[in-house]
Amino acid sequence: MLHERLQLRDRETSESERTFYDTFDGLLHAAGLWAVHEQGRLSLGGSNGASPGPSAAWASAPRRVLPIELEPGPLREALVPVVGVRALLAQVLVRSRSQAFDVLDDEHKTVVRMTLELPALVASPQREFELRTRLRLSAVRGYDKALARTRRTLERELGFSVPRRPLVDEAVRAAGGRPAGISSKPAVKLKFEQRTDAATVAVLRALLEVVQANLEGTIADVDAEFLHDFRVAVRRSRAVQRECKTAFPPAELERLRTEFRWLQRATGDARDLDVYVLEFDAMRALVPDGFAGDLDPLLGVLRSRRLTARREMVRALRSDRALALWRDWEALLDELVEMPGAERRAAAMPIGEFAGRRIAKVYRRMVRMGSAIDDSSPPEALHELRKKGKELRYLLELFGTQLYADEVVKPMIKTLKALQDVLGRHQDREVQAATLRTLREEVSALPGGSAALMAMGLLVGRVGADQHAARGELADVFAAFASKRQRRLVKETFG
Amino acid sequence: MSKVLATYNIKGGVGKTSAAVNLAYLAARGGARTLLWDLDPQAAATFLFRVKPKVRGGAGKLVRLKSEVPELIRGTDFERLDLLPADFSYRHMDLALDGFKKPTTRLARVLEPLADEYDYVFLDCPPSISLVSESVFEAADVLLVPIIPATLSARTFAQLDGLVEGGPGGLQVLAFFSMVEVRKSLHRQVMARVRSEHSFQMLGAAIPSADEVERMGEERSVVAAFAPGSRGAISYEALWWDVRRRVRPRTPG
Repeated sequence: MLHERLQLRDRETSESERTFYDTFDGLLHAAGLWAVHEQGRLSLGGSNGASPGPSAAWASAPRRVLPIELEPGPLREALVPVVGVRALLAQVLVRSRSQAFDVLDDEHKTVVRMTLELPALVASPQREFELRTRLRLSAVRGYDKALARTRRTLERELGFSVPRRPLVDEAVRAAGGRPAGISSKPAVKLKFEQRTDAATVAVLRALLEVVQANLEGTIADVDAEFLHDFRVAVRRSRAVQRECKTAFPPAELERLRTEFRWLQRATGDARDLDVYVLEFDAMRALVPDGFAGDLDPLLGVLRSRRLTARREMVRALRSDRALALWRDWEALLDELVEMPGAERRAAAMPIGEFAGRRIAKVYRRMVRMGSAIDDSSPPEALHELRKKGKELRYLLELFGTQLYADEVVKPMIKTLKALQDVLGRHQDREVQAATLRTLREEVSALPGGSAALMAMGLLVGRVGADQHAARGELADVFAAFASKRQRRLVKETFG
Repeated sequence: MSKVLATYNIKGGVGKTSAAVNLAYLAARGGARTLLWDLDPQAAATFLFRVKPKVRGGAGKLVRLKSEVPELIRGTDFERLDLLPADFSYRHMDLALDGFKKPTTRLARVLEPLADEYDYVFLDCPPSISLVSESVFEAADVLLVPIIPATLSARTFAQLDGLVEGGPGGLQVLAFFSMVEVRKSLHRQVMARVRSEHSFQMLGAAIPSADEVERMGEERSVVAAFAPGSRGAISYEALWWDVRRRVRPRTPG
């Protein structure tokens, strides 16, 4: 058929096997990129059609690639800014047969290069699913008109189309996956008049999905973001439980809240140590150059502690207690709306009204707590303010953005974020200094221990100084958060 | 920065175009981004690559730097190998150049915007001594001179010495024997003598007078592509290897 309409010269036929990669949350897809393993190389490609992207030799297709652990080189430099600490996971294997053609003019000169590709998704060694035939045209320099003519002939007369979606997207969809990945930030649509218990269930169910989606990757230590997203979803669930408790039967909720608290604690050390190890270079940069190398024994201790903490965490996540928690929590969410309302004061209230009241209340509480903080306040006061801040943030993100105008919610989130950043730094530095002190003994027993101790002493000093600096910045960010304008806006909007 | 190599001889019919197209093809096949500029109004190289011998605005517009040179370039059948075609107006290029203060710098300036786009630029020059050839000497890093091993060929060097100002950093002249018939004792004698007298400038590889080299016009392709195992193809590969090995790195400044 093609030969009748176009003057073609058959070129080589080829077969290829490509494994495509993306992060769990589709960061490459979002950036219009894909990573692919083919013929012993892992490379980065893009829909912007950039000439061959950066690549690295890789004998056989890996199941997982952690860009932050790659050797320095163009591939690492291109990947890390896009995916950060996330791992690339093998998504689909595509096997293709291709036939290349030259499209010729009357002089038998090549004016367009054309490739016809018959791709198939390899679902298992025995099963392949054919994907759409793909036609690729590339121009020969100076023959743009011939390219346009060929494209017209192919599309109008032969019914071919040059696909708009990348092959990887089609293959991922055919495999039952989502090309955009799994988001850990659910946006649940809510209506102002919706019952509070029903709205709460919708939000909590979406959070439970995030928890469950990240569980496997957390246990397998695929990358640090699984545990992080897992914990954020658990923490958000706890905030909703606390803020919306009057939509629940008190006894059942209380019991499950205890279980959620246990879960949060059981994963806390592993996350803290993830952060220490991931951000060790940033911490190292805090001490003067001459001492930075002395901190190596500390990194060793942190790594080994991290492994211990992970083992304990995995034991907890696989325990019967955890399984019972998921089962009971899901059952409660399933049944909540049907449960008697006597003990659940807020259950039938419109969520818009209820969430607005909670936002106003937590905001005012924070304004009071923050105003009471002065130079003599203990670090705990700042810590408490930060905890309340997280609650407000989740209320705003999960409910506020869905139910109230962006002009009110967005600036509130912005000033709150600035405040939380300062409070977070203050708290993190406090914890870091305390952790460093507890590690002193263990580090000193290692080879190079005494030099490490000295460097750690310097580090504790720097960490303390930064904590002090954060405290100095608090007044300004709090003033913006609690400004007269913002207070008035909260009162007018949320009552 | 691209390396500019020009095939040149005062005489015609010595294998300039064959060398230019085959070496350019081998450079591109080896992975280098390569441009061949067919400066000969007879347009033999352009014909071989099946491109129309037409340059919008002709030689005049080109040397006045009024053409968008990148738009005049045509891709060939071979990846990475592009052609700046010949045009019938090139026969008046001398006249076009003559009007400038520094006429011999013009061709180099035409190539300037392409310097980062190509690893190698080959110039296929018309046989003559003219402003065009002087401009080629100015633009090129290397002059590749095909010589037929006949009695008069040694004079080529004497003629070139008068034309080219060599020396460190300047134009490098490399010659090779072309259209060699090894059965002729005269050819063998001349080759031995010239090689001993000009050992620095003579390349080791030589191109035979072979059927397949002559068939290029009929096939409209390069020997290494349509007869890859032939004597001719292998000789061009040896020549390209020899050229690459001998080309001096560019001296800074």
